Amino acid sequence: MAEYELSKTIIPYLDRHLSLPLLAHLVETNIFPAEEVQVAQYELAKGTNMFDYAETLFKQIHPDEESPKEFGEKREKAFSTHEQLQQEAQAVLDVIEKPEVAQSLRQDKNQNLQYLKDNYNLTLDQITALYNFGKFQYSYGNYSGAADYLYHFRVLSTDPDLTISAHWGKLASDILTGKWDTALEELNSLREAIDSRTPAPFAPVNTSNSNTPTVDPALSQLHSRTWLVHWSLFVYFNHPQGRSLLLETFLSPTYLNTIQTSCPWILRYLAAAAIISTPTPSSSGSAPVSSRVKNAIREVVKVIQMEGYQYTDPITEFLTQLHVEFDFEAAQKELSKADAVVADDFFLGQFKDEFLESARCLVSEAYCRIHQRIDIGDLSDRLNLPREEGEKWIVNLIRETRMGQDAKIDLEKNLIQISRPPQPVYQSVIEKTRGLAIRTQVLGAAVAKASAPAPAPEAQAQAVTVS
Amino acid sequence: MSRFFRQAGDSDSESSSSEDELSMSSGDEAPAPSKPAAKPAGAMSRFLRTAGSDSSSSSSEESDEEESDMDSDEAPKTKKKPAFLRSDSEDEDESDDEEGKAGIRIMSAQEKRLAEMEATGKAMDNGLKINDWVAISNEFDKLGRMIQRQHNVSEPIPPFYVKTLISLETSLTSTLAKEKEAKKKMNATNAKALTAMKQKVRKAMKEYEQDIQKYQADPETFERDYLASVSREQPTATGAKAPSGAPAADEGEDGFQSVGKGGKTLQLTPEGIFKTLQSVQEARGKKNTDRAEQIRILERLLEIAVTSYQRIRVLLALVSSRFDYNSSVSNHMPTELWLSAQREVDQLISIVAADPSYIIQEITEDYDDLLERHPSQEKDGVVRIRGSIISFVDRLDDEFTKSLQNIDPHGTEYVERLKDEKVLYCTICRAQAFYEKTKQDDPLSRVVMRRLEHIYSKPNAVVQALESAAEASDVTPAMSLSAKGTTSDLIHSLCVYLYKAGNSLLRTRAMLSHIYHYALHNDFHTARDMLLMSHLQESIHSADVATQILYNRTVVQLGLCAFRNGLIKEAQTTLHDIFATQKVKELLAQGIQHQQRFQSLTPEQEKAERQRQLPFHMHINTELLEAAFLVSSMLVEIPLLASIDSEEAKRKAISKPFRRLLDFADRQVFTGPPESTRDHIMQASRALQDGEWEKCRDLVQSIKIWSLMPEANKVKEMLAKRIQEQGLRTYLFTYAPHYSTLSLELLSRTFGLPIRSVTSIVSKMIWTEELVASLDQSSGVIVFHRLEVSRQQQLALSIAEKVNAMAEQNEKSLDQKMGMGTSGGWNDHRADGKSGEKREGGVQERRGRGERTRGTRGGGTRGRGGRFAQGLGNQMPGQVSQRA
Repeated sequence: MAEYELSKTIIPYLDRHLSLPLLAHLVETNIFPAEEVQVAQYELAKGTNMFDYAETLFKQIHPDEESPKEFGEKREKAFSTHEQLQQEAQAVLDVIEKPEVAQSLRQDKNQNLQYLKDNYNLTLDQITALYNFGKFQYSYGNYSGAADYLYHFRVLSTDPDLTISAHWGKLASDILTGKWDTALEELNSLREAIDSRTPAPFAPVNTSNSNTPTVDPALSQLHSRTWLVHWSLFVYFNHPQGRSLLLETFLSPTYLNTIQTSCPWILRYLAAAAIISTPTPSSSGSAPVSSRVKNAIREVVKVIQMEGYQYTDPITEFLTQLHVEFDFEAAQKELSKADAVVADDFFLGQFKDEFLESARCLVSEAYCRIHQRIDIGDLSDRLNLPREEGEKWIVNLIRETRMGQDAKIDLEKNLIQISRPPQPVYQSVIEKTRGLAIRTQVLGAAVAKASAPAPAPEAQAQAVTVS
Repeated sequence: MSRFFRQAGDSDSESSSSEDELSMSSGDEAPAPSKPAAKPAGAMSRFLRTAGSDSSSSSSEESDEEESDMDSDEAPKTKKKPAFLRSDSEDEDESDDEEGKAGIRIMSAQEKRLAEMEATGKAMDNGLKINDWVAISNEFDKLGRMIQRQHNVSEPIPPFYVKTLISLETSLTSTLAKEKEAKKKMNATNAKALTAMKQKVRKAMKEYEQDIQKYQADPETFERDYLASVSREQPTATGAKAPSGAPAADEGEDGFQSVGKGGKTLQLTPEGIFKTLQSVQEARGKKNTDRAEQIRILERLLEIAVTSYQRIRVLLALVSSRFDYNSSVSNHMPTELWLSAQREVDQLISIVAADPSYIIQEITEDYDDLLERHPSQEKDGVVRIRGSIISFVDRLDDEFTKSLQNIDPHGTEYVERLKDEKVLYCTICRAQAFYEKTKQDDPLSRVVMRRLEHIYSKPNAVVQALESAAEASDVTPAMSLSAKGTTSDLIHSLCVYLYKAGNSLLRTRAMLSHIYHYALHNDFHTARDMLLMSHLQESIHSADVATQILYNRTVVQLGLCAFRNGLIKEAQTTLHDIFATQKVKELLAQGIQHQQRFQSLTPEQEKAERQRQLPFHMHINTELLEAAFLVSSMLVEIPLLASIDSEEAKRKAISKPFRRLLDFADRQVFTGPPESTRDHIMQASRALQDGEWEKCRDLVQSIKIWSLMPEANKVKEMLAKRIQEQGLRTYLFTYAPHYSTLSLELLSRTFGLPIRSVTSIVSKMIWTEELVASLDQSSGVIVFHRLEVSRQQQLALSIAEKVNAMAEQNEKSLDQKMGMGTSGGWNDHRADGKSGEKREGGVQERRGRGERTRGTRGGGTRGRGGRFAQGLGNQMPGQVSQRA
């Protein structure tokens, strides 16, 4: 399954530290020879300040060799830098942590700076020490410490480039410490920062390829969006609400464009998230989903179809076969392949069961909508289930979804009968005209609002009550 | 153009002086002597050869070609004269306006002008006496024009003019003063002329304020200055004549000499090169300069030129005079001339490339034209010469295109001419190499663009041929086929260079050429993405016409590419816009529409249009294009037609041009066997409607024009498959009401498709709710759930739809009115509504889709179609306005 392994494509878009878990995962899955992965891990770790880790890796690779001397030297050097940076940072921290200072800090950063300068003789350069120390801590793996310092720095600093850089650093630290809620907040604020700020170039902290082209503001925005898309995978596939948030984000026009233009392989995660978030009998009753998530499958299929020439893998192929070609046999084959891919994927691995369940639901839904009489055995084949189990599964499905009214199981012939009486005309007329009144009212409200701009909130409130 | 014709052409502008007349009369006779002169023996003919007969024979040749009858009229008349006598006198005339002109003419013209001025001055005086201001005004205007001419030859203002101005002013003021007191007013026209005069004089006074002041201060010195400056010019003018007096030693092995003015020999020596060059350059662009003669002189000069500097100078002059040879814009350069110009440009480039101490620049410091210059004498060791190689290359290329436009594309001459593209391409490559070496970015990007234009639309084999020719030459540019491997890589590197170069016009053109190339090589997705990402469709309507044409070509090629790749829908939407205009040929610059419905073209517009036409070998075959468009329209439209049952919905057609043709074909009482491509497709559409897919396939495949499509067989196979599928869909749509069940197996047999694909197609139709049916798996049939709709129900449905549409329309207009900023605002709170949620999703989705098409990448086919439409739609007014 190595051909569908995406780590290689994704890692260039990640920070050194973020790639380490990915590589660790690769060691477990045994897709690639373990030694090679270890070498890669070592190469990565060498560039950081995590000497102990690098050293253990080195020993794993070359069990009979002495670890290089440079580690020791570097460690010495790192200790001294640490001391120095810590002292610098501590000075600032002391000031900030005073309760009276915390009280007098406001929203306005310039004012804060002025205040700190006037009262505590704290300059911008000193504040930058926070950033440096945070960055250093990050580089030797003390992520939670790094997150703290970077947070303080961000609150105080006015330098836009460093602030953004601190943003990235904080996000990485939060991801690596596994604080998904804070990471999600961080992600959103970073996203806002990127979306709102076009002109300046963004360079994520500690980038392995620091020469990210920064010529064109639009281009650099595209770059940082691409990075954001990749980094956000960590958050979205770990946060409990992540999948629907992922759909919301990635299906928004700007990010969809980013995916289509610079990283079509993200479509796999988009497709997987769309499949996972489809309501299944077992997941029913969970939080209500927004309209975008509901229509996600349709949207995603469209995108996959459009980008088919750029990227395909078993997961996207499954959706294509199911919803474009309606070739259930091929879909079944792709599903079994996709299953393996999902199991091996770093991000998707833990959703393997949900993925399979949802995919089966999708298949059976499509199947039932098209067919009138279904052979149960045939359907269980399509679902990759043994007959016995398939029957159970189908019965469950029929019982728990709204299909129950229309579908009847005929055990004697081993058939499902689906009778779906065509919708009466009056009903479709009702369906069509429903909501017209509300729409008109909203229109009226909007017109009123436009003609008299002053009582805007009132009109809005009115509109809400009406609807 | 021979002088012989010029007489006829110029006769309407009869402003010329008596001297003009003289040369014309000599020109009148000029064609004649070639024939009689050939008869007299030895010495005589030689005597004539160099100066007279060559030029006259060349002019007679031309007149032979075009108006031999005139010539024959002339010939007998002149024969009566004794050859010798006539030739002598004629010789004089001939050389008079060739070499001697520079000297003699300036002198006489100066005097003549002065005399003329004095005459007008007198006329003005007369006018003053009788107080006729209309006459004065006219005369003054004439005088002003003369002075203007004086300016043009950069001669000083004659004191006479200043005198006249001053006297005029005094008489004006006095007349005006009188006029105020006088009881009897002047008549209206006179008064008007008077006031006009007042203003004119004031203006002129202001213009020559300094001169007038100088004159008023000391009239005599002013006059002396003037005379001095005039006489100073004379020596330079006559300078050219001077060497011609000396006997020429090196002239001809047979001891004969070229004859200059008045029997004097014309000598061309290395020392005199610059003087001769100057005289030739001064004569350039004047009315009765014999261009052929000039070219000949320059060629001779080139032979005797010794130093690089001399050769560069002569070559610069020679190439430009070759390009001057044709005065009118519509004619093209004769092939031989073009070829020698091409060789000379090559030579020029190789001289400059070989010796970096000579630089040709468009803007240089002033230098003396008459002095020999050498790198060692210059400050930084580099001789800068005024001139422009890139404009020569441009011109060479333009002339090549022009000649192709004018040659009949079906003759062998065209093919012969086309072979010259190779040498032209070599020259361009050489120029590119030169500019690469000297690192001149601006001309380099221009020359790269020229090169790109020669190869972007050509198949690989042709590009390879061109490239191998270019590589055979001594200098090769950095980007060459052998260095890059494949044609696409070569074009890619050329384009990338242009993208990086600053010029936005060249960037646009490079982009379009690049897209065109991708489309030509069947890389539809890359081409489409590039086109969409370039956002050209938003700005193309404001581009120049040539770029718009290139854009149209690119779009059309993209459509063809989609067609070849079997992307029927894409092909249809892409080609639709250009076909909807019904001016395909015009938009692609492959033909001119003579008659337009409401307007006719003025000759100038037509001429301009003609100049834009592409040479034949660049054409995209419009018949093939039409076939592709109609076939894809058929495949899209026929199933759609079948799926619609109400009359009203039928009016909404996807492809109007196709629908029109189909309706027309329907009205035909009797249909014969198909002849044209259209007939084929119309009958095929009929067959498809009737479910006879085999007949349809045969008809479509028998269209002959497919053979022009690369990989025709593959395309035909693809079409057959598409016809099968669409035939099945059409069949289901058409006959569904008549069945309650239909066996899948039967369908698969009828349409020759495997059961699996039949199932897939039917499933798709059920899923998208195009077909109200479901599959019965166990018995393998389609079960139709037909719903009979009564008239009333149908009306209710349609009114519901209309009300919906109205509500939507209202929302849209409100959106527009409130602007983009607030639109989100008023739509937002609808999201709060619970019952409105479903609809809201729809709205959002719709909007999302719209935005996506606006974004970097663009959406699917629908968005793209819309944007093409926008681009082309906007372009049409541009096209028209430029013509109007």
